[in-house]
Amino acid sequence: MIEAFHVGAVSRDRTLWDGLDMAFDDGEVCVVTGPAGCGKSLLLRVLRGERRPDAGDVVAGGVSLYRGAPEEAGAFRAASGVVPESFPSVAGRSVRDLFLLSETAGERVPEKERKERREELLSLMGMPGALDWKLSSLSVTERARVALAAELLRGPKYLFADMLVANAGGEWTDMLGGLFRALAREGKTVVLAERTFPERWKARGGGEGTAKGPFRLFRIAVPGESTA
Amino acid sequence: MSGFSLWWIDGKLLPGAFLREAAGRFLLLLLLGAYFVAMLLSGGMNRYLSERWAVTAVLRPSVTDAEGEGIAKKAAGLPGVQSAVYKDPEASWKEFLEAYPGLETLRTAGGTPLPGYVEIRMRPDRFAEADIRSTEAVLAALPEVEKILSGAEILKGILRVNLWVNVLFRAGFGVLAAVAFLLFYLQEKGRATALSGDFDFLRDRGIPSRRIALSRAAGAALAAGVLSLAATAASVSVLFLLEARLPLLRRVIGPAGEILNLPFIVPLAIFLLAVAALSGGASLLGWRAAQSRRK
Repeated sequence: MIEAFHVGAVSRDRTLWDGLDMAFDDGEVCVVTGPAGCGKSLLLRVLRGERRPDAGDVVAGGVSLYRGAPEEAGAFRAASGVVPESFPSVAGRSVRDLFLLSETAGERVPEKERKERREELLSLMGMPGALDWKLSSLSVTERARVALAAELLRGPKYLFADMLVANAGGEWTDMLGGLFRALAREGKTVVLAERTFPERWKARGGGEGTAKGPFRLFRIAVPGESTA
Repeated sequence: MSGFSLWWIDGKLLPGAFLREAAGRFLLLLLLGAYFVAMLLSGGMNRYLSERWAVTAVLRPSVTDAEGEGIAKKAAGLPGVQSAVYKDPEASWKEFLEAYPGLETLRTAGGTPLPGYVEIRMRPDRFAEADIRSTEAVLAALPEVEKILSGAEILKGILRVNLWVNVLFRAGFGVLAAVAFLLFYLQEKGRATALSGDFDFLRDRGIPSRRIALSRAAGAALAAGVLSLAATAASVSVLFLLEARLPLLRRVIGPAGEILNLPFIVPLAIFLLAVAALSGGASLLGWRAAQSRRK
């Protein structure tokens, strides 16, 4: 479980938000929405333990990410995956390299199993055989999907994704919704930051979400929900 | 978290650049290894001088062959001595005639006019004034020895030249080692800069910077250790081949086979470890420079 207590953030001498309380349970898919420039990406970074909030604290699995030992914050980050809104396309770098980095950051997996998982994930993302494609040649939607596949390779307990659904494109919305619900059923926590709540997705408690400062927080209904 | 995979992360992400750099390092280490092996075996000018320079103990005419052999054996047992050979009066006379042909008439019916002598050569690593003087002192004290010939009047000058030549050799090695370190550092810095985005990726996923830096340094050290071992082995092999064709090289540098003797193995092992440490250090410094450039 990830809990944010009275967190606040200041950017360029402007208070983006303050006194926010949020909780993301295990086995839950949450979508944080808000207009451009309201600090969604920053919120994700704060929740991941990457950027100390200007006020408040974040506790993950009972451990404070900012007041506890740095190793514990590091362990939390190691157990989480992150799909950024965009990642720099390094000349000559391929999808294989991205997977390699993800594998390096994760548990050691036998080569045969790694290969199978890579192929499965790329197929799932509609990009079979893309392993040797250059990152610079990918479209925005392909980059979003391949970044998600690279994160899923490690099987993270927590997944943070910034504008993933929007970047992946409308035709992938349903598939991603199903995928995140499946992850939640396995007890994993998925936190998404989007401008708007994806169409066709069903939020718990009506669909209006809960107002949290400049954001709205939506929780996705997960059939057969695990509360573990 | 991944075990040793971080050690080789650079090679996995930039295989082409990594191999090119390794090839460059191998060539430089080949040069450095050859220089070090030559310096180690030759001891600078010591081997050449010890080969050319002899201390001669001229024996009294009354000394018998058995006594002469005994003195040679005793001299050979002295700490700084490599070899001591007894030459009887007949051998001494033959050498004299080879050097000065046509003087056969000097020989009387009673026998050779020249006495026997013991020729002593110093060990290359003990070719120093103190060792030569102590050897002379031991021999001069023997009643069978009439006089010692060692060119004492020019020895000091030769040893001074020897000292400066050796200093020059070592300074040359130091310059070469500094060039190698600078090259390693620039390569490491360039690679760390090129891969900075990838290291950010790893950091974002919970791998501490320190761990990345230390793992890369360990990988760099191990790779350099293996490269320098291969380069040194190659340079010794080249020396073996060259010595078969150029006997002078063998006299100046010494037999390449001697490198396998314990007194040479230890400094060689230290050299390989030093190259590995140098490379690991260059990796850490390159990492630091690349990180501070980003700030």
